[in-house]
Amino acid sequence: MMSMSFARHLIFGIALALSIAPASVSFSQPSQGSQSSQATKSPPTSESAHAPQSSIEPITSALTTNQFETAADLTRAALKDFPNDPQLWSLQGIAFASQGKATEALAAFQRALAISPNNISALQGAAQLEFQSASPNARTLLNRLLKLRPNDPISHAMLGVVNYREGNCGAAVPHFAKAGSILDSQPAALHAYALCLVRLKRLDDAVNVFQRTVTLRADDPRERRLLAAVQLMGRRPKDAIVTLEPLLQGTSADAGTWQLAASAYEDTGDTPAAVNALRQAILLDPKNTSLYLDFAHLSYQHQSFPVGISVVSDGIAQQPSSAQLYIARGILLVQLGDYDKAEADFDKAHQLDPNQSLSAAAQGMAAVQANDLDRALTTVETKLARKPNDAYLLYLKADILSQKGANPGTSEFQSALRSARKAVASAPNLAEARSVLARLYLDSGQTREAIEQCRKAIELNPKDQTALYRLIQALQKTGEKKEIPDLLNRLAKAREQAAQEERERSRYKLVEGDDPQSTSPNHP
Amino acid sequence: MKISRRAFVNLSIAASVSAHASRLLGQGVSTHTAKAQPKLAPSGRPFNAHFTDVAKQAGLTAPVIYGKPEYNDYILEATGCGCAFIDYDNDGWMDLFVLSGTRIEGNPEGATNRLYKNNRDGTFTDVTEKSGLHDTGWACGVCVGDYNNDGFEDLFITYYGQNKLYKNNGDGTFSDITKAAGLLGDDTRWGAGCTWVDYNRDGHLDLFVSNYLQFDMNRIPKPGANVNCTWKGIPVECGPRGLPRGVHSLYRNNGDGTFTDISAAAGIASQRGSYGMTVVSADFDEDGWPDIYVACDSTPSLLFMNNHDGTFREEGVVRGVALSEDGQEQAGMGIGVGDYNLDGHIDLFKTHFSEDTNGLYRNDGKANFEDVTRTARIGVETRYICWGTGIVDLDNDGLPDIFFVSGSVYPHLEKTLTQYPNKNPRTIFRNLGNGTFEELISEAGPAISERHSSRGCAFGDFDNDGDLDVLIVNINEPPSLLRNDMKGANHWLKLKLVGTKSNRSAIGARVVVRYGKKLQAQEVLSQSSFYSTNDTRLHFGLGAEKIADISIRWPNGAHEELKAVAADQLIVVKEGSGIVTGQGWSKAAKPGASGR
Repeated sequence: MMSMSFARHLIFGIALALSIAPASVSFSQPSQGSQSSQATKSPPTSESAHAPQSSIEPITSALTTNQFETAADLTRAALKDFPNDPQLWSLQGIAFASQGKATEALAAFQRALAISPNNISALQGAAQLEFQSASPNARTLLNRLLKLRPNDPISHAMLGVVNYREGNCGAAVPHFAKAGSILDSQPAALHAYALCLVRLKRLDDAVNVFQRTVTLRADDPRERRLLAAVQLMGRRPKDAIVTLEPLLQGTSADAGTWQLAASAYEDTGDTPAAVNALRQAILLDPKNTSLYLDFAHLSYQHQSFPVGISVVSDGIAQQPSSAQLYIARGILLVQLGDYDKAEADFDKAHQLDPNQSLSAAAQGMAAVQANDLDRALTTVETKLARKPNDAYLLYLKADILSQKGANPGTSEFQSALRSARKAVASAPNLAEARSVLARLYLDSGQTREAIEQCRKAIELNPKDQTALYRLIQALQKTGEKKEIPDLLNRLAKAREQAAQEERERSRYKLVEGDDPQSTSPNHP
Repeated sequence: MKISRRAFVNLSIAASVSAHASRLLGQGVSTHTAKAQPKLAPSGRPFNAHFTDVAKQAGLTAPVIYGKPEYNDYILEATGCGCAFIDYDNDGWMDLFVLSGTRIEGNPEGATNRLYKNNRDGTFTDVTEKSGLHDTGWACGVCVGDYNNDGFEDLFITYYGQNKLYKNNGDGTFSDITKAAGLLGDDTRWGAGCTWVDYNRDGHLDLFVSNYLQFDMNRIPKPGANVNCTWKGIPVECGPRGLPRGVHSLYRNNGDGTFTDISAAAGIASQRGSYGMTVVSADFDEDGWPDIYVACDSTPSLLFMNNHDGTFREEGVVRGVALSEDGQEQAGMGIGVGDYNLDGHIDLFKTHFSEDTNGLYRNDGKANFEDVTRTARIGVETRYICWGTGIVDLDNDGLPDIFFVSGSVYPHLEKTLTQYPNKNPRTIFRNLGNGTFEELISEAGPAISERHSSRGCAFGDFDNDGDLDVLIVNINEPPSLLRNDMKGANHWLKLKLVGTKSNRSAIGARVVVRYGKKLQAQEVLSQSSFYSTNDTRLHFGLGAEKIADISIRWPNGAHEELKAVAADQLIVVKEGSGIVTGQGWSKAAKPGASGR
């Protein structure tokens, strides 16, 4: 899972692109000619008078032959005699829209709708224009269209994008689904659809959508990377490898592709391939910090700390201003018990980037690792004085106090409780903070509150054994035992799975090789 | 690209303060670790117990052979064995029974279980041969109980191989009646802990045996062969993780000298997910029926709750005694049983591996346990692999303390990693009376700070002076016999219970003693500590109180009350008859008559 953050960044980068380029998505209307002949669905009002077919045909003919100026002129002339003909106004709207005169076109469509509110053509035209300008009016028009034509794929597609832009993926996805193959002509919309599915954690469905984009744009490596990233997120690393293989076998694989591949290989247990992939990535992009961080993670997982330190040191040589690399190396040094050097790295990280608090957190954790909870607390509290709202530091403080054995009712316990609550409020997705808070609530008899925190931690990570166990304990205390058998099963399964994953991780240990290339600074 | 919080947490997982996050990869033992709590300033209160190892002068000079002293190839050599206080001849003086193992390479001379008869003068005589208890093998646990209710305590010993039941003939000898009793197994099994328990309250002691793992020397990998055969990167004997788990057994006493295996019918055999070690039976939910708790290594410990109908339901996880307080497996070995907080409920103390805390579990009286390790300040000690243990009042101040022994399973490790010595001191956690404990090592006498690689230990009053002494198994050394020489004027009371309708040993009897404003519950146990059996005369320290009221609930359900019993004596209580005198037990010498 080392590139999970990278995968997520890749996916959510699409969001940025879509949000600033609404015009990148546009859905073409059906042929104006055929549509115009069926344009009016509602009966004419008592005040309307329709232009004869002899007036309509020249206009539609001009439109179909792309003589938009002529078509516009013809509609002007016809409207003098038939000012209340919604069809004429619609045709004028189409002519103006085709000329790029959006304002005039919209005005024409709106005139048509004022006369005949359910005029399909006018609704479609106005909706398209409002959609393209990202106007809030687009939603209303599209909804009106769908009432008249519930299965119109274009309307669904546009509503999908509208909802996506508003951040409402829950509403967007059903519309995207009903848009069907229309989306295949709009990669950005297809990406929006897939992105929404990712946000809704419907990863299998997201994979299916991205597979469409890969099929449609087989030559675009970006599509394969996106698909592979989602496959990784959906814990389908073998599929991710299959997706990436054409790129890896060719010459077009960039560092990002190799980085994704490394994560996929590791997740399948093929650590040698993962190491090789990361090596390729580093060769291609030796100044990419995240690659060295991934290697640090890999070496940590395999308890191969010296190799990790060596590689991260190479990274530091390439990027001497990277605070993250100093933090990573410091953490690996802690594992070797080299606390002095680790401390030096954490200090350096802080110098390079005083705004980040991870180095402070790491220093606190190093003190814990060295079995010095008092020093750990002092370190964390010193940093908290400068950054009193840092969620991670607050969580650490709460956990250290709890580990020290603060008893309920004491000032230390109250301090731990306050810190944990504040950490959770600042970072609701910091599962560790919720775990500590749950424990503190259990210790102080606030069982209901403990249950709530455990449930939220489990939402964040359904395999969180600690949260599952504490939830069981809390429910036992309250006598609400109905859920317990299922939770016991889940806990047992989570334990088995964790043991299996550990066995897989432990199959390999990384060592520095004898290959001359492998000992050079850029060759892990 | 910024390092995300989540990536940071993943990266620094072993450095995280969360107890569950520090998982040591690549080893065969439970991965739960915990950081030691800082110690508070010493209370400064004097500790009136003082321990001296008198084993040598007492005549306990034969070493307990268990594997090679310098290195173990197999886990079989590492786990060790237990010991027992037993008055096999009913003369009121506790005799000693010390198990032994052997060596893979062959049985060394002198490797045998040993019975030591108490000479009543501070010395013991090795009567192993005369008693018929000479046996060589990989003995593990011992449980003492009068299975045939003839008034003489019998012995059941678990082995890797074949467990054995020895009937006490009443004349100083024992007979191996394993086969006749129907306890001969078809295959080689690793019997670990055991307990006598009258699970169906019919007056006959039934037998529960835990099994550790399925061990086949021809198929076990060698040290260093895989991730379960290394520790801290050093090759060590494999396991228990990676090896098949044992299957536990329950045998019903048919009342005619034979037993029937009812493991499956009772719901015991279906529990196959744990490496069973020490077994304790006690009525944890105080419903009058004995339950069974099994400390398990690197897997969830088991709590079998009695359904009153011949079956049990396993509820260790839901009742809070199977896993650590954060839901992780621990290496559970020994069990201490007692009422540490004087609320009338039986609590548990479980010993674990190094770099983890031992666990103190407070019982609410309904068998719901809360892990109070840290709030009780037990978490200050994580250096040692801990084994035999007890919740016992060592200084007679009326507050049960905690005692445990320790020793490495990797004797060669200290050559490379000096911070993991093979031999460790004993440890006392004295009860401060406010729910917390403080650690004492050197403060309790030279015998506590002496270093050995120990396993089982048993608590009893071998010199009948009213305080608790400790018998300890030391691997490849003679045992230790820690004589307690109390100072001060704290009072005490001992109870010997004799069942009539209940089983003769009164195993499962629950006693609550009220002294002053305090009350304390204990049960007559079969096995506890690590694979060991304590002196079954219940010992209560009374502090400054000189009288006590006693409530007894017999295993068969009868109740008995004794009011205003004077302190500083052993009383014998016979079911249905109250305090009896003139019995062998009650003729035991008064304090000071031991000849010291």
